[in-house]
Amino acid sequence: MTISAERPTEVDDKGVDPPEFIAQPKLRRHGLLGQHLGTAIVCGFLGYILGHWLGNYVASGYPYIANSGQNSIAVLLALMFMVLGWLIGIGALNYPFAKMLGREAKGEVEYQGWTRYFRYNLDHKVVGIQYVVGVLVFFFTGGLLAMAIRTELLNPTVHVFSADTYIKIVSEHGTIMMMMASSVVVGPLGNYFVPLMIGARRMAYPRIEAFSFWIFSAGYLVIFSALFFGGFPTGWTGYAPLQTQAGPGMISYLFGFAIISIGMMAAGFNLAVTIINYRAPGMTWSRVPIFVWSIIATAALLTLASPVLLAAGLFGILDKTVQTAFYVTEHGGSSYLWENLFWFFGHPEVYIMALPGFGIVGEILPVFARKPLFAYRIAAAGMIGVALLSFFVWQHHLFQSGINPDMRPLFMLTTELISIPTGFIFLVGMGTLYKAKIRYEVPMLFCMAVYFNFLIGGMSGVFLSDVPVNVTVHGGFFVLSHFHYTIMGGLIFAFFAGLYFWLPKMTGKKMNKKLGLWHFWTMFVFFNLTFFPMFVIGLLGQPRRVFTYAKNLQTLNDFSSISAFLLGASFLIFVANIMWSQFISPEKSPPNPWDSLGLEWQTATPIPIYNFERIPVIMTDPYHYSEPGAPALADFGEKVMAPNTSPPSSSTSTDQ
Amino acid sequence: MTDIIKDAHGMSDTPEEREFELRAHIGSIWSGGRLFIGMYTFLIASLAFSYFYLRSSNNGLLWRPDHVTAPTAYGWAIWSLTMLAAGMAIFGRRRFRKGNSADWMVAGWVGLAAALLALFLQIWEWQKIPFYPGSSGYASTFIGYTIINLLTIAIVAYWLETTLARALRLRKELGGANAEYSMHPSAQSFRANVASMTYFLGFVAIASTLMFAMFYLL
Repeated sequence: MTISAERPTEVDDKGVDPPEFIAQPKLRRHGLLGQHLGTAIVCGFLGYILGHWLGNYVASGYPYIANSGQNSIAVLLALMFMVLGWLIGIGALNYPFAKMLGREAKGEVEYQGWTRYFRYNLDHKVVGIQYVVGVLVFFFTGGLLAMAIRTELLNPTVHVFSADTYIKIVSEHGTIMMMMASSVVVGPLGNYFVPLMIGARRMAYPRIEAFSFWIFSAGYLVIFSALFFGGFPTGWTGYAPLQTQAGPGMISYLFGFAIISIGMMAAGFNLAVTIINYRAPGMTWSRVPIFVWSIIATAALLTLASPVLLAAGLFGILDKTVQTAFYVTEHGGSSYLWENLFWFFGHPEVYIMALPGFGIVGEILPVFARKPLFAYRIAAAGMIGVALLSFFVWQHHLFQSGINPDMRPLFMLTTELISIPTGFIFLVGMGTLYKAKIRYEVPMLFCMAVYFNFLIGGMSGVFLSDVPVNVTVHGGFFVLSHFHYTIMGGLIFAFFAGLYFWLPKMTGKKMNKKLGLWHFWTMFVFFNLTFFPMFVIGLLGQPRRVFTYAKNLQTLNDFSSISAFLLGASFLIFVANIMWSQFISPEKSPPNPWDSLGLEWQTATPIPIYNFERIPVIMTDPYHYSEPGAPALADFGEKVMAPNTSPPSSSTSTDQ
Repeated sequence: MTDIIKDAHGMSDTPEEREFELRAHIGSIWSGGRLFIGMYTFLIASLAFSYFYLRSSNNGLLWRPDHVTAPTAYGWAIWSLTMLAAGMAIFGRRRFRKGNSADWMVAGWVGLAAALLALFLQIWEWQKIPFYPGSSGYASTFIGYTIINLLTIAIVAYWLETTLARALRLRKELGGANAEYSMHPSAQSFRANVASMTYFLGFVAIASTLMFAMFYLL
């Protein structure tokens, strides 16, 4: 590395423009002209109409379409053209077309002002904010559907919905939530903070990063469109042969997952390449923040597991449109093929969701415990171990449904093995908290809740990995409760921990602590009151995805439903907090409100578009809390701090 | 001590920072190319898994009834053209490294023409498939293969075309200097791109051969 701690003093004012890929971004204001969300919506709508017309024109004459009255090809082409129009409208395809003429990027043009959030913006911080809004829209849509589910389950005999509508609501809820959860941390917090944490001024592939968000949002539109095509009855797992028999709403599911998988690949690809190549000088692998370790482990899973989902979706689409028989047993296919492909993606997907949550918690605990992260290397190794092992456990989802019985012990073993690196990560957290003088701020409370919830979710998972228990409780509320404890209790709590922790850096404004505490306690209490009874309900025999149940389970179901409504209300407190703290009565946040040593807190607030005025030279890892005489984190060169910010106040100084 | 260089917009870099950014950029092209191969591997591995899963299941003895045979002549032609495109890219890069930019350009254009022809034939082959897509497990996986192969060849053609188009513009930017020997950042970036593309095309050649053997020869 050729950058040294010795800093330049002379200034050359020759006005030299370097090649685009190493130049700092150019700043522009663009008002409402050009390409933005509005043009994306218009082009998407026109694309939908064009695709639908084309599908009817091309395929309505085929006998199987004429006889069934369902033109899946028209639905598919409508959705494909809608996505294409959406991408053209937002400007995602400008650069790929320009490249065909041999043009490189005209610098990273960064639009300023509020309209940048509605554009194809290449600043990772803007993309991070776009993702925050995007995943919250996903989350609240899925949450409303959850409220509908719990409303239906208030009474076993008096129904709000028909059985058919109910399963479609369940399916839409599950699919939207899983799509959201795949990006809930990587998208907003990964994109926003990874470059800052590794001392980078930019992403490796900013256009691919922006593309990942806009195709992710297109995926939301596609999957939401299923409701207008009559929904789909398969749950989020989309099992064949029900998949093959379902109506056109199934196309939205398959195409939606395919679209989301492309977005996941793009996001993972860009993050992995950025972390590998753009780490600041001195940022060795042993100094990389634990959150970044979690993101690179997740990125590996995103890039390698998502293509399998893409292939599975493609085969399903072919079955529905050109009448192939991948998943049709009667014609030489196999419904188990879908299960294998789906879960080969699906189980790594569980860790795509879990690992970034662990990363957030590992990043936040030392700040509030004022202790170094315990056994940092074991935590990093645990994350890589989980990522590797996650490719070898998928068959446990098939214990009940068609696996060779002789193979069960092998996959039982691999599933139990994965609890070991997961346990490492858990124990790293406990070790960090041991004998710590903990500050119970809102982000820390969410982190503590992650450990409480994940302990329940994880331990029930160990039970479920055993074949006898698995086949006994399969398809019931026990499993449902288990994965809500791990995904919502782990990931979503970690996401909110991250939001409360980093929002002051992202927006420069404080979150209201009192509302934050109300949000935390109501969410924590009602989450547990909602989902813990479901373990009991499941053990007493209530199956998932069925809208009626035994009369003797009504009390527990009602208790769970009422808790769920209150859990839903707790998110309104979060919305109120955002509105109050960020818009109605904003209060400026100190530059480093938690006294964190993290590199992301050492740059100015608001963060300059190029992140660091000088690329920092990293001296050590960011976890030397309460260590007198610990080395400074980094050399930031000249003028890294903006005039209106103060140097980081922590147990160690970063000044040289 | 070193200089801070201000660009036309008033932002500044040191030469060391620009060198760092350039190295990171070139490293990104290198590691991005390899990671892309990893993603592509998992995509075609999914197809290969489906092929062997349905073949071994042979549900209803409908893996591959006797009459289900893919158009072998098209298969040979598409495979040969794909190999030609990859071979030209590899050959061209060898010449490029020896400073023969013109040879690389000619090889690239020939490779692109081969890829476009393969693309056309892959689409045209759909007109000639003598079985119903859902008539057997093999028929289904074959249709899946043609779609994935189409995407693969399209990516190959796009990457070749954009690199060739870039080479034409680069020659002007470098004022006629040889892109292989120039230390201009754009030339370094271009070389990294050519290397990554060639590496990917080499992998495509291997993957195409395996897929060709599975679907046309086995």
